[in-house]
Amino acid sequence: MTDRDCAVALERLYEFLDHELADADADAIRAHLDACEPCLDAYGVEEHIRSLVKRCCTGTRAPDALRVRVTQVTAMTVIVRQTPAG
Amino acid sequence: MTLPAADEALSAETGAGVDLATETDADRAARFERDALVYLDQLYGAALRMTRNPSDAEDLVQDTYAKAFASFHQFTPGTNLKAWLYRILTNSFINTYRKKQRQPQTSGGDQIEDWQLARAEQHSSDGLRSAEMDALDRMPDSAVTDAMNALSPDFRLAVYLADVEGFSYKEIADIMGTPIGTVMSRLNRGRNQLRLALADFARENGLHRRGGDDD
Repeated sequence: MTDRDCAVALERLYEFLDHELADADADAIRAHLDACEPCLDAYGVEEHIRSLVKRCCTGTRAPDALRVRVTQVTAMTVIVRQTPAG
Repeated sequence: MTLPAADEALSAETGAGVDLATETDADRAARFERDALVYLDQLYGAALRMTRNPSDAEDLVQDTYAKAFASFHQFTPGTNLKAWLYRILTNSFINTYRKKQRQPQTSGGDQIEDWQLARAEQHSSDGLRSAEMDALDRMPDSAVTDAMNALSPDFRLAVYLADVEGFSYKEIADIMGTPIGTVMSRLNRGRNQLRLALADFARENGLHRRGGDDD
């Protein structure tokens, strides 16, 4: 394991966590993380923050008034279209 | 460390097999209500993060659904409706709300300093290590949403689309109308700023168990 391995692992951290790496590249990162605790730490922190963001931003419910307004978008357009000009 | 399961964005394909040529207006309206309205809560959540203001978020979502329905005949059934709606939402936000918001420049923008990106090349030295992740667990939701809101709009949206909605880089590039490299850069910078902000919050509020002398 070299500093270069760490640099690659940290540079590709987000791509790994975002499932954007090819399998072989992801496997190489996994192998490095098995052997390098500081890098594993860095990955763990990012993973943790990501789940925190997801938890805090998930589960928002739209206000009922907006639901009504949005439903009327289709109703109004259909009525307009079905009313002949003359 | 547990890795996230494969995201569900790609399974959001609906409406395959619809014949657009013979579909009546009423049928199309019914299909729109059935397929598009299920994303209302999600779009509102995203709009709230974009505008940082419930009233503007409502207007933005209303505007998005009006535009989406008006061009629903151009949407190809069977492709990713959720991503299509997010693209309309994003365009509406950029064209309408962002112009009038004129918010003060928060931390970030494109003039971010290189030192803020330093973490990429070395092991973390910013006060958040796995041994201190209980500090993150004690983080109030408001601290996280405040940190998100402090990001510049482009960074915030990229992080939201990736972390909350689980869109792929390609999908985010389509939604934001930018090359994939730009998406990666925005994610990189946005997440770095987010981590630094949360580390600051933890330090300032004494969430670290071992006291506040990190540096």
